[in-house]
Amino acid sequence: MRYVIDALIVISIFFAFAGVVGMLRMPDTFCRMQSATNISTCGILGVIIGGILYSAIYLGNAEMAIKLAVMGVFYIITNPIAGHILAKGAYKHGVRPENKMVVDRLEEDFEQ
Amino acid sequence: MKKATFPAVISTAIVCYLFWLCITGQLAMLFEGEAAWQVLVAGALVSLGVGLFAGKYFIHERSFYLWHPARLFTGLLYCIIIFPWELLKANWDVAKRALSPKLPINPGIVKVPVDLQSEYGQSALANSITLTPGTITMEVTEETTDEGEQDYFYIHWIDVATAEEKEAGDAIKGTMEKWLRRIWK
Repeated sequence: MRYVIDALIVISIFFAFAGVVGMLRMPDTFCRMQSATNISTCGILGVIIGGILYSAIYLGNAEMAIKLAVMGVFYIITNPIAGHILAKGAYKHGVRPENKMVVDRLEEDFEQ
Repeated sequence: MKKATFPAVISTAIVCYLFWLCITGQLAMLFEGEAAWQVLVAGALVSLGVGLFAGKYFIHERSFYLWHPARLFTGLLYCIIIFPWELLKANWDVAKRALSPKLPINPGIVKVPVDLQSEYGQSALANSITLTPGTITMEVTEETTDEGEQDYFYIHWIDVATAEEKEAGDAIKGTMEKWLRRIWK
């Protein structure tokens, strides 16, 4: 069981690493946000699930496990809303990528 | 703003009470049979108060819709198995793109039709799409055509395979919409 917990944490560290590399390499705002989602989903959830298993099995502390689960639920609920508002706000403010996007239906439909 | 109905207040209070039990650590103590009754009673009073004030914002449709056992089970299945699997696939895809030397990205904003009518269903789908790496929902609109109203999402997609609405929708939503349709019409 200990190996499962370690594997979960290592996997989430790998995804967080990939997300950070992506954030540094991606060419524009929106692509950077896509890469940041990588950190905030698998990068966080692996650590939280590993923590739940560790505190439930090795520490025998059910209270801590439940609190970690609540943390994960709140994280999952609030994170996409912030991402959506950031992307929409950036677009409305006039942020456009340097290299042209392949297709931009938002511009075609809303700006004459 | 419409007034809060009694079932809406009760439904909100139940959700608040569950959170109270988790956060104060009483849920673990309930199983061991040593929960403090003062904390339980105070939690019930506070969640009723919160339900009175927040019920009308929290519940817009039928109050006990999600408490139906079949829907609750489908929802839990979606949250525990279906959605994490989609999440893992998308995570692996974006991580591969970020780490590969050529940086194979192809970004664009596509328009996707949505078949869900319920506003809870739509927000669940939009949040699922945003949480999946590689896609961000940017705008939700409604258009009236001859056959009735059709809702659309504008989605920023990191690798645009096709700009055609239906195909892009199938590629982005995957199995998520099919499962959400079993919960909300």
